[in-house]
Amino acid sequence: MSTQVLLRTYIESRASQILDGGLEWLESAATEIGSRETLVSDSRFGALLSLASRKLGHEARQPWSLSAMEIESAGILRDGWNPANWTLLVAARVHLILSRPDLESQSGADAIESAFRFADEGELCALYRSLAHLPNGKRFVWRAAEGCRTNMVSVFEADVLDTPFPTEHFDDVAFNQAAIKALFVGVPLWRLWSLDRRLSPELARMALDLADERRSAGRVIQTDLWLCLGTFGGERGFAAIETEIARLDTIDAADEEAMFGIRAAVLALGRAGATERLREICAGSHPALAAEAEIGLAGDANQNAWSRFTVPALT
Amino acid sequence: MPTKMLGAASRFLRLPDLKSMSLPKRFFDPHIHMSSRTTNCYEEMAAAGIRAVIEPAFWLGQPRTNVGSFIDYFSSLIGFERFRASQFGIQHYCTIGLNSKEANDEGLAREVLEILPRFALKEGVVAIGEIGYDEITPAEEKAYLAQLEFAVEHDMVVMVHSPHRDKHNGILRSMDVAAEVGLDMDKLVIDHNNEETYKAVLDRGCWAAFTIYPHTKMDSVRMVDLIEANGPERIIVDSSADWGISDHLSVPKTAQLMLERGIDPAWIEKSCWSNALEVYGKSGQIDVDRLNRDHPVDQTQMFGDSTILRGQVPRVDAPVSAS
Repeated sequence: MSTQVLLRTYIESRASQILDGGLEWLESAATEIGSRETLVSDSRFGALLSLASRKLGHEARQPWSLSAMEIESAGILRDGWNPANWTLLVAARVHLILSRPDLESQSGADAIESAFRFADEGELCALYRSLAHLPNGKRFVWRAAEGCRTNMVSVFEADVLDTPFPTEHFDDVAFNQAAIKALFVGVPLWRLWSLDRRLSPELARMALDLADERRSAGRVIQTDLWLCLGTFGGERGFAAIETEIARLDTIDAADEEAMFGIRAAVLALGRAGATERLREICAGSHPALAAEAEIGLAGDANQNAWSRFTVPALT
Repeated sequence: MPTKMLGAASRFLRLPDLKSMSLPKRFFDPHIHMSSRTTNCYEEMAAAGIRAVIEPAFWLGQPRTNVGSFIDYFSSLIGFERFRASQFGIQHYCTIGLNSKEANDEGLAREVLEILPRFALKEGVVAIGEIGYDEITPAEEKAYLAQLEFAVEHDMVVMVHSPHRDKHNGILRSMDVAAEVGLDMDKLVIDHNNEETYKAVLDRGCWAAFTIYPHTKMDSVRMVDLIEANGPERIIVDSSADWGISDHLSVPKTAQLMLERGIDPAWIEKSCWSNALEVYGKSGQIDVDRLNRDHPVDQTQMFGDSTILRGQVPRVDAPVSAS
């Protein structure tokens, strides 16, 4: 099965959230774009991507809800792809993009670049979400890095989260910038697929510098920042983790959100392989921290362990 | 004191109890150039009850020199400005068009008209506008016609800017030309009307918008007189606030004055909220139900490094129920 067929199935099973005639329109637009005999012009291609919003209607712009099985099927089809946070409109637009018969050739790449140039916010999201599904993704690395420079949080998310593209294609500079920017704009970094595979001494240093900056400013450190250390934090990393854990004395342990950072710091100990310290925490008097230490000792402190923490509003 | 004000004073006496009457709490400013305004304006507008705005594409106070400037301007209307507004709980729509002044640079105008379709059908674009006449030149007419044809072809609403000089004649001509092209008069909004022009607009079945400016165009007192005498049918109040001396709170201030003058709150609601929703809603781009529902501000959404908060604590409101 192709991504396109899967998307079509997901869209068709949600016809009730689409305006009357919208599904038929999508079908005919996909046929028009898919024609090998008469390739649509770049401006027509862009217009069809825009029109999808008008033809599908307001409900299609709201978050969709996929079943666990639908999410799993997507991940099996394309490793690292998770469409749970897409909308019906994004899916329809990606479907249209993938309908092009010339995606392998220069004309296809040019048409996509042209669509990026004239895109509104919603179209940008769909275009970035489509990148991991295009052949020879390397061609779009500059564009994806450009997406990281956006000011729109929704666009940044579409570019970086729930997609294998950054991990597969970004160089270290682009990748590290994407990870640190996720902390800055407050989107869940654990959703950067296979972050754990791209950890490095440089990313750990950048994260620790940011931690120092936030402490100096009297601000709380982002829970997800502790994801960036891995085994590369060194002595400086352990010191930062211990400073975070020491906050335990200053906060109300019943305040779940305030505890996130401290729990995440314990998980970071697990990622760094600080076995003795983890055992000490397990034997300690704080059950919430002991539970995180157990996860570390079991070798399960991977990035998905962070999915239990919500990302609090940045201050 | 002008007699109008004396009239206002006498009507004032009819008010039973000012405090017991409540001003409608929601306003729609269907013509305001937010990219020229500050975040202070957004804050004050939100506090005054402005829930939604339309930002028509216009000129920037000086002519642009290349088509790229237009591309970036249109992009900001459907991108960053929309985002900026959302941080204050204000829904931002826009219109796309080549304005009449810059239509006179014919070479550039041709290039702009070529790229216009790439923006005009975007999500949240509620009309083609503001277009029309400035000096009523052949070049202006050419650009106006081309854009009217596009609007008819795509069944769109049109927002027409009426000229400052030779206004009455300009308005008549803009309606005649639009009718000739086949535009549904119910989808035509003529803006910047005054006492001398609006009747002709209403007689043609169009919508008559009024720009409330502190010193030129209409002022609030004249606006209230007009609504009092003629009712609120197809009348739209807007601010057209921009980079010039103008008032981003014109709509709520005029509404307040109407209330003080004893005008039926239902008339205020029509002229300052629902009429504009009705005509621009014909675009299908305004989710009217959602707009009428709860509508919290969430400033934790931000544009990364350009966050508008710059270190402040973000404001996250509990949903406020529509009244």
